[in-house]
Amino acid sequence: MASDRNASDEFTGPLKRLLLVVLVLCLAGIFLLWRIDSPRVERFRAQVVDNIVPRMDWAMAPVTATVRLFRDFQSYQRLYEQNEELRRELRRMTAWREAALQLEQENARLRDLNNVQLDPRLTFITAVVLADSGSPFRQSVLINVGSRDGIVDGWATMDGLGLVGRVSGVGANTSRVIMLTDATSRIPAEIQPSGQRALIAGDNSSAPPIDFLENPDLVRPGDRIVTTGDGEVFPPGLLIGQVAEDPGGRLRVRLAADYERLEFLRVLRDHGTRQVGNPSALILPDALPDAGVPVPDQPEIPGDG
Amino acid sequence: MAENSPARLWGMRATYVGLALLICFLHLLPMQVLPYRLAGPDWLTALTFAWALRRPSYVPMLSIAAILLMADLLFQRPPGLWALLVLLAAEWLKPRGRQVRENTFVAEWLTAATVLFFITVIYRLVLALLIVTPGMLSLWLMQYGMTVAAYPLVAGLSYLILGVRRSTPGEYDHTGRPL
Repeated sequence: MASDRNASDEFTGPLKRLLLVVLVLCLAGIFLLWRIDSPRVERFRAQVVDNIVPRMDWAMAPVTATVRLFRDFQSYQRLYEQNEELRRELRRMTAWREAALQLEQENARLRDLNNVQLDPRLTFITAVVLADSGSPFRQSVLINVGSRDGIVDGWATMDGLGLVGRVSGVGANTSRVIMLTDATSRIPAEIQPSGQRALIAGDNSSAPPIDFLENPDLVRPGDRIVTTGDGEVFPPGLLIGQVAEDPGGRLRVRLAADYERLEFLRVLRDHGTRQVGNPSALILPDALPDAGVPVPDQPEIPGDG
Repeated sequence: MAENSPARLWGMRATYVGLALLICFLHLLPMQVLPYRLAGPDWLTALTFAWALRRPSYVPMLSIAAILLMADLLFQRPPGLWALLVLLAAEWLKPRGRQVRENTFVAEWLTAATVLFFITVIYRLVLALLIVTPGMLSLWLMQYGMTVAAYPLVAGLSYLILGVRRSTPGEYDHTGRPL
């Protein structure tokens, strides 16, 4: 029997070995190519995902809806507790509402004094979350807008309240958002009211730690954390969350965005801030309104003194 | 032997691809966006190993390579490396299936667990050598343990539901070759 098997393997054996070698070389080649020229392969990955995932959409919607329904039923069981909790919260919130109204009026007065204009170019596109990363080692979601909708790599995404992450990888119809909790995410941030600069460094936990903080004594749990415009990563002033201290004494961020129920995301269109290149650019506008035709720069003629 | 007919063979090959796609689909469902405390088992690898040990003809090299490369791309892993290791491991396991079948299930389980351990270590070593962050070690250990624990479940379910059992020494495929 053994000789029989060997006889039949004489024909298929070498072919199989050849196929195996070819496949191994292909896969190793893809991996090395990815290591050498990551952006190109990542673009290819974005295209593959772009082609596969929207096709699963019809099946994903009912399954997700069913699971959500089931979860809602589970929450019905705790209806009484929730009701009590909500009442308590409501009582607290009414107090806050009064405070907020007063602050709003004060804020409006101050803005009026200051003549502040909010950035009119900061508009957003709302996107639906299609899929998550599917792996415990990566924290990202796939959203249903892509280069077709004008999405550009690096834009910020928020839910209604706070920052969620950064667009990284854009296909035609989908794009990937790397969340603040991902181990590769580093976001420059400012802690208010002390004005300390820090980095929010994701570490695969739901509360990313605060890194490179200059003076931790000035920061107290509960302080607000917002983005800075540092390094042109994000537009400044987007809410990230609050400072919290973990049992080990390390400062972490309690994220403002509700990561548990991410269904819709806002992608902020960011066309970059105006650069201040030379010292006079800070004072003079780009083109003076009554300058007429801009005169090309002329070499300085030394005046006769 | 109707059980080893070509229709059944191709049907089971298609079933493997279908199951793999189903696993990818379930992984991608946006249920849990918070970071996981627990890493679940790698169902795809467990399925591939179980079938490679039991019925090598149901998991040809091409479908293993294609499916795992797709999984690499979809799950944001470094593309190609895990697919390469699983392919090599499955090819190594395929002839072992003939020896293991004369032994108990524990022997099969141990073989699969050992191979999985080796490719996991190689995976992390290669990533460390090429300076790619491979993810937390604790999660990897957990995933390894869960995958090993899931192996009997995968093997049992594919035996009970799909009839993927170990071939016995006297069996022949449709061309008359012994399995």
